[in-house]
Amino acid sequence: MKEKFVILQPWIGLVARLILGGVLFLAGFLKVDEPDKSQMAVRAYEMLPISIANLLGLTLPFVEVAIGALLILGSLTRFMAALGGFTMVIFIIAIAQAWARGLNIDCGCFGGGGTVAPGETKYLQEILRDLGLAFLAAYLIRYPSTKFSLDKNQNSKSSQEEVA
Amino acid sequence: MAQAKNPKGGKDNFTRNLVIAVVLGVVLIMLVPTLLSKKTNTDAAIPSSVSVEDGYGMVFNKELQDVPFIEIYEDFQCPACARFESIVGEYVEDLINTKKAKVAYHPLSFLGPESQLAANAAGCAADEGKFIQFHKLLYANQPAENSGAWSAGYFSTLSLGLGIQSKDYDKCVANNEYKDWVTNVANEGAKRNINSTPTVFINGKEIDRNKAYNSLGEFMLAVSKA
Repeated sequence: MKEKFVILQPWIGLVARLILGGVLFLAGFLKVDEPDKSQMAVRAYEMLPISIANLLGLTLPFVEVAIGALLILGSLTRFMAALGGFTMVIFIIAIAQAWARGLNIDCGCFGGGGTVAPGETKYLQEILRDLGLAFLAAYLIRYPSTKFSLDKNQNSKSSQEEVA
Repeated sequence: MAQAKNPKGGKDNFTRNLVIAVVLGVVLIMLVPTLLSKKTNTDAAIPSSVSVEDGYGMVFNKELQDVPFIEIYEDFQCPACARFESIVGEYVEDLINTKKAKVAYHPLSFLGPESQLAANAAGCAADEGKFIQFHKLLYANQPAENSGAWSAGYFSTLSLGLGIQSKDYDKCVANNEYKDWVTNVANEGAKRNINSTPTVFINGKEIDRNKAYNSLGEFMLAVSKA
């Protein structure tokens, strides 16, 4: 069992990297050319002063694209997974507080966002999805060495040496 | 540089660092124009009847006092705005014509490029004294969001339906002359925490989201109470 995990671990890591990175990249990419909507989505959480919310709405999509791209490529995997996991935790807190306060908003995760009609909220799905992604991030922090990564990789090198 | 060389002769970090630099560089190059394009330009050309102190809104009956002040934030592409217009549009128009209210329209453009074109064209129509007519006609013929239906050519043709004969209007639409004004309207809306359209204030207070947006009776009640 343990030996099997040693072989599978970098492959699981690759999948985790691609999913977490892919979702972050896509989420950011869909928002970079819609700054007005993105700002609106951040404001609708009613957590931050308006000017800061507007600035975050402008910059967050670009940050997501950067973290996503570097995760897909496998550069600084552990650090980027920590950043990605951190943003997921923040998103979960933000969505949960909106839910608890009875706001009617769309999370605006993949574009869109802002106030929606009561009954059109999807808080539970949004939180579960972000929890799953946070779990992938945690896995990558624990096991940062993955297949096809640009990181200098002690584990995979030693396993390559064993094979050779 | 010492780090770049791996004594064990395996992969070194040079490629990885290069990739990181490239990704961050590209993202920064994309971010800077976005930040710049969102800056309010106080020298922007503004259509007639726009009031800078009312958040760059298109204001009617600006001179009136002691009447309700209705502020409407909308996006020409938003279906809920078209619904709102069909319910209360005529009544608001009536209030303007009979001088019973001061009204400010704020054409936002968060739904995309066609909203931007429509808001610009609305400014051009305002210069010809046809904003209200333009507003009504556009909502009555609202296509699907960003379907490509709204182009400069479309808004030029619209002038026929509005009875605009001026060449200035065509030029204004074709050159997107009020582009900066549209950006300024959007920025003021963002500063005022407008998170959905339509958003309507009467004397600075938002009307009841559960009632007054969907019912002419409730809306009239809200106006009469003001």
